[in-house]
Amino acid sequence: MAELTIVGKPITRVDAQEKVTGEAVYGYDLVLPDMLYGKTVFSTRPHAKIKRIDTGKAREFPGVVAVITGKDAPWTHGESIKDKPFLAHDKVRYIGEPVAAVAAEDEDTAQAAAALIEVEYEDLPAYLSPEEACKPGALPIHEDFAGYRKSDFIVTAPLPNVCEHFKLRTGDVERGFRESDLVLEERYTLPTIQHAAMEPHSAHAQVDPASGRVTIWVANDAPFRALHEIAEALGLPLEKIRLINPLQGGGFGSKGGLKVEPIASALAYHTGGRPVRVKFNRQETFISTLTRHEAILYIKSGVKKSGSLCARQMTIYWGAGAYAEKSPTVCIRGSLPAPGPYRIPHVKVDGYAVYTNKPVSGAFRGYGIPQGAWACEQHMDELAKRLGMDPLELRLKNVFVDGDLAYWGEKLHSVGLKETLIKAAEAIEWGKDDISKSKIRSPNLKRGKGLACISKPTRTPTLSKAAVLIDASGGVTVLAGTVEIGQGCSTILSQVAAEELKVPLEKVRMAPLDTDVIPFDASTTSSRSTYHMGNAVRLAAIDVREKLAEMASPMLEAGKDDLSFADGKIHLKEQPQMALPIGEVVRRRLGASGFLRGDSSYTFEIGKDLDLETGHSEHASAFYMYATQAAEAEVDEETGRVRLLRMSAAHDVGKAINPLNCEGQIEGGLAMGIGSALHEHLVVDETGKVRNPSFLDYHLATSLDLPKMIPIIVECPEPEGPYGAKGLGEPGLAPTPAAIGNAVANALGIRIYDLPLSPERVYWAIRRMKKKVA
Amino acid sequence: MAEGTAKAEDRQFIPISFTLNGTTQQTQVEPHELLIDVIRNRFGLTGTKRSCDVQVCGACTVLVDGRPMSSCTTLAFEARGHEVLTIEGLAKNGKLHPLQAAFIEHGGFQCGFCTPGMILAAKALLDQNPEPNREEIIHFMEGNICRCTGYKKILESIVAAAKILRSPGR
Repeated sequence: MAELTIVGKPITRVDAQEKVTGEAVYGYDLVLPDMLYGKTVFSTRPHAKIKRIDTGKAREFPGVVAVITGKDAPWTHGESIKDKPFLAHDKVRYIGEPVAAVAAEDEDTAQAAAALIEVEYEDLPAYLSPEEACKPGALPIHEDFAGYRKSDFIVTAPLPNVCEHFKLRTGDVERGFRESDLVLEERYTLPTIQHAAMEPHSAHAQVDPASGRVTIWVANDAPFRALHEIAEALGLPLEKIRLINPLQGGGFGSKGGLKVEPIASALAYHTGGRPVRVKFNRQETFISTLTRHEAILYIKSGVKKSGSLCARQMTIYWGAGAYAEKSPTVCIRGSLPAPGPYRIPHVKVDGYAVYTNKPVSGAFRGYGIPQGAWACEQHMDELAKRLGMDPLELRLKNVFVDGDLAYWGEKLHSVGLKETLIKAAEAIEWGKDDISKSKIRSPNLKRGKGLACISKPTRTPTLSKAAVLIDASGGVTVLAGTVEIGQGCSTILSQVAAEELKVPLEKVRMAPLDTDVIPFDASTTSSRSTYHMGNAVRLAAIDVREKLAEMASPMLEAGKDDLSFADGKIHLKEQPQMALPIGEVVRRRLGASGFLRGDSSYTFEIGKDLDLETGHSEHASAFYMYATQAAEAEVDEETGRVRLLRMSAAHDVGKAINPLNCEGQIEGGLAMGIGSALHEHLVVDETGKVRNPSFLDYHLATSLDLPKMIPIIVECPEPEGPYGAKGLGEPGLAPTPAAIGNAVANALGIRIYDLPLSPERVYWAIRRMKKKVA
Repeated sequence: MAEGTAKAEDRQFIPISFTLNGTTQQTQVEPHELLIDVIRNRFGLTGTKRSCDVQVCGACTVLVDGRPMSSCTTLAFEARGHEVLTIEGLAKNGKLHPLQAAFIEHGGFQCGFCTPGMILAAKALLDQNPEPNREEIIHFMEGNICRCTGYKKILESIVAAAKILRSPGR
């Protein structure tokens, strides 16, 4: 490979200027000419039949243009199961479900009119735990489930309310347990949490009365999925729908899927062609968008005295909430690697995604990995304790290495896991407990260290297309459907284009994301973009570069292969002074307004699909991300408060295309993981109501809550990745709670099985132990 | 709220005059109208962000006579006679303020939604304490939530900007 000039450098972001000056216009800021203002009416019941909706007073309210209910929007949608109405049809399934909507001349009017809509319900029994909802005899939350349109990979179970059953079958776990010297069984749980991106949710929609064409403006992280899903629901051909993606103020998974989009588009059919904006405030965002799956995990392992793992069995209940959304694939991709990144001959996993009468669960940074890791990685420490082994040593003995056949049947390569374990442990002086313990200020303060590691697959197979254009002034435009959520993709993809064309970064710009002109991309999810879109942009740049070389060949009187690129110019390899600026080549051949275009398409071929009976696949993922995080914690036995002293996070990224950006992703993931470990819990009470839909009561980590963070970049190159790169966005928070849980257990000698590790929970765990000892 | 165009007859308006980013502005506001809405809707300055609505997250921070205020819970008429600075007023003649430059240089933002409030809060800190230590910074910035960065690079940006602002010749 030629020497890299810009890939691998810690350059500053290309979207910086607009973001530090306040000029950046986000979806939430967007004002369209002649726009109407929408307001949504939400269900107040967790599970009920809709007896009657009275919209009369709202319709008569001055300034109101449209009032709609489910009758005006007889459509359903869903990613893999078409179960979700645009607005509730004959029943509601959670508190916060959109039931009706108003469009008015201003926000106050819309709000006042929405308050006049009366809904009469007939309550049904509500299920608030996934484990309860799938017990034999439970009533169905979706009576028509069998009749819903579903993707081919959906596996149902003969249990109520299960919308996906994932099965992994490797070896014979019963034999494995018999052959073990020690068998341990435990139960772990994680509560519902929310993404809480700083920008709440909104969508704008307009229907052109003449053509029937629908345009939606929404900061969605999977614009093409949204486009296809809405088009399919409305029965529109793709040319009749357009999605424009304004800037996004954070997402973390919450901005994929459809939440506000269906309400806005349904309203837009009733406004006489005027655009309408539907905006959720913070409270509405909490109750009516998406959450992270609560989960209940049973884990049982058999291990030899030597520390070799023999068998592991897991049963996982994923709380889907009221609609399937991404639950089937979270269940599959979260359950598959839940037994951990270890060599285990006998493995059995049953993952169940279960409907409940709670807010809808969706994609959340980590996509099921944090849940599996919370159970598996603490369980590993409990095994280590019983074996009298150091937790790091037990992991090093069992973790995946290059060439291993993973328990799902895939031969692994480019496994940087061991290096992450060693580096993360070293960074917090693993094994040197005495030095830090001697500094403790009070006898009530107990210190401990813990670590946890993960592997994470990416959504596979998926497609990314891209185009790269060169104009007559040498400017480069990248057309890519990756969404700038804040993760820095516009910088990374600009670096890739600049690298392949050897132009200064200032000459590259990212085209705005409009599905009318941008080539298809599967989604900005699953840490897939650097790898998939990075490859697509690289191939498109190479395509345009080849065309350019062909054009320049007669101009420079040299063969195509004798030409090379540098500093925005194309030159003779042997005589670098014989050069033409690339824009000049375009201008001479195509004129001053001409441009040259390169196109590409990238997908990772998997061969056979995942086997639905065994969960086996030769290529479950295009690549795997590996990470280890290690924590040093101090616990106050009097108050139960956990204070983190330092945390290291070693992530195998394959190749850091931008190390500054990689550090930012690691630190941000770590902070979110710490929040989920110590504070975050979206509390749904026994009536199905969210008790803390506000930043006052839903505690997000602030600058005061965070320890010294030590990000560590490990580079174990992935041969298929652009320049060796893998992905990074999601793993940052995945091992964090388990690492902290292990540090707390190390400090106190008590295992806590449920998140978050709030002072109250830790305090009572200490009290219970002291009572037991006494 | 008052976004949109409808006018009801019984609405009551208060005439106010205040300085916005160095320019005197005269306008009429309703008694319940929030400063954030006047800034965003009347003056089109959308750099002031709405996020939590309850004075917790700091995304809507503006400086009123140099002090950080949550514009989402400040009544617009309270700005009467005061100087309000929003993020749009921070760069002078196209030249970025050292804090803005430092946030770029040190990667102090990702999605950027909290950034205007974050930078203005940091300005208030450095105006009153030109050489804050780490503890002082994290305590002062506690009222500004960032969901993306993990704060480390924000703190590094503030430290770097403080150093530049203290350098001789400024």
